[in-house]
Amino acid sequence: MPTKIINSQLLAIFCLCLLHTQVQAAEVTVQKSNASGLLTWTSKDNGFSIQLIQLLPDFVRAVYDKHGLPADEVERIAAYCDFGTIIQNTSQQQLSYRVSDWRYIDKNGKAYPVKTKAQWLEEWRKAGIVFAWTLLPGNGDFGIGDWQQGFTTIQIDRNEKFDLVYTWTLDGKKHQGKIENMSCAPANLSTSSITK
Amino acid sequence: MTLHKVMPFKLLSVFLCCLLMFSAQAAEREQPKLGHTLTAISKSVPAPDFTLEDMDGKKFSLKDYRGKVVLLNFWATWCPPCRREMPSMERLYEKFKGKNFVVLALNQMEDVDQVFTYTGELQVTPAFPILFDKDSNVSRAYSVLGLPTTYLIDKEGNIRFRAIGGRDFDHPEVQKLILRLMQE
Repeated sequence: MPTKIINSQLLAIFCLCLLHTQVQAAEVTVQKSNASGLLTWTSKDNGFSIQLIQLLPDFVRAVYDKHGLPADEVERIAAYCDFGTIIQNTSQQQLSYRVSDWRYIDKNGKAYPVKTKAQWLEEWRKAGIVFAWTLLPGNGDFGIGDWQQGFTTIQIDRNEKFDLVYTWTLDGKKHQGKIENMSCAPANLSTSSITK
Repeated sequence: MTLHKVMPFKLLSVFLCCLLMFSAQAAEREQPKLGHTLTAISKSVPAPDFTLEDMDGKKFSLKDYRGKVVLLNFWATWCPPCRREMPSMERLYEKFKGKNFVVLALNQMEDVDQVFTYTGELQVTPAFPILFDKDSNVSRAYSVLGLPTTYLIDKEGNIRFRAIGGRDFDHPEVQKLILRLMQE
């Protein structure tokens, strides 16, 4: 009898977890650009909105080349899986976030920290680069209506899918969101992806 | 160099330019709507002073604007929300022209040519001072983490409000806020 009760409780907890996961998954929308075929993920939940737009390596090269970064540093950041990222406080309260708390999870279930702007700037500083913009700020305290944008960099094989787990704090309470099955922009924009 | 060798380069350049335009346009389409809410700074702090030059090399210091309300904007030409909000800053500046209000736009790490080209693309060229924070020293003094970031400074030289991300600065609510600070 106790075993049956425990099993029922476990089943109930499992169902609740499943329901919770489904609700979170329903918050994520994926859009495909008609012009480029590139994907954009958008998630809105508990006062926080995040949008991640696939960036082609050539686009990233063009951006950093224009800002005068040396060729090897341009190639280094273009080799990452880069996303244009827009985050927004959609609540009526103070909100904060820290990219150092964010994780991406590879196909084997292993979690890795997302590289922060501070880490990039430290590497750039050692390379003699003073440019300090375009990357998503590593942390922020957002008032009502505040939003921010910048590049997010994920170090993963370009052809590998991954999940992104991100967190934010609203009114002192920490929240977590997850975008599953994300993918990098292709290495090149093929003709087929433009016409699709 | 033969024409065959030149053409692929030209075609590639045109293609990349189109791609960048598509990407920039897509990014601007997907941008959040510009709001008008500014966050009140709970404990107002003195705005760090600075002296910077405009396009003509004329020097501007923040302390020279004591007695005026200052909208201090940190921006760059490559930043889509900065470009979107700038016309509203110009309308706001014109609205309060001749009163105790000024807009100072601090460009980050760009040169005169880049800014001159950008302002030439605008329907109305900004009449307010655009200053060059070439090494971002002033943005660091204001703890600016991303662009655009804007501060509203009162007549006593204290930071009173802040906006992170683009705003519609000539919205009646923002005008009301500025009027309130001007009347203090």
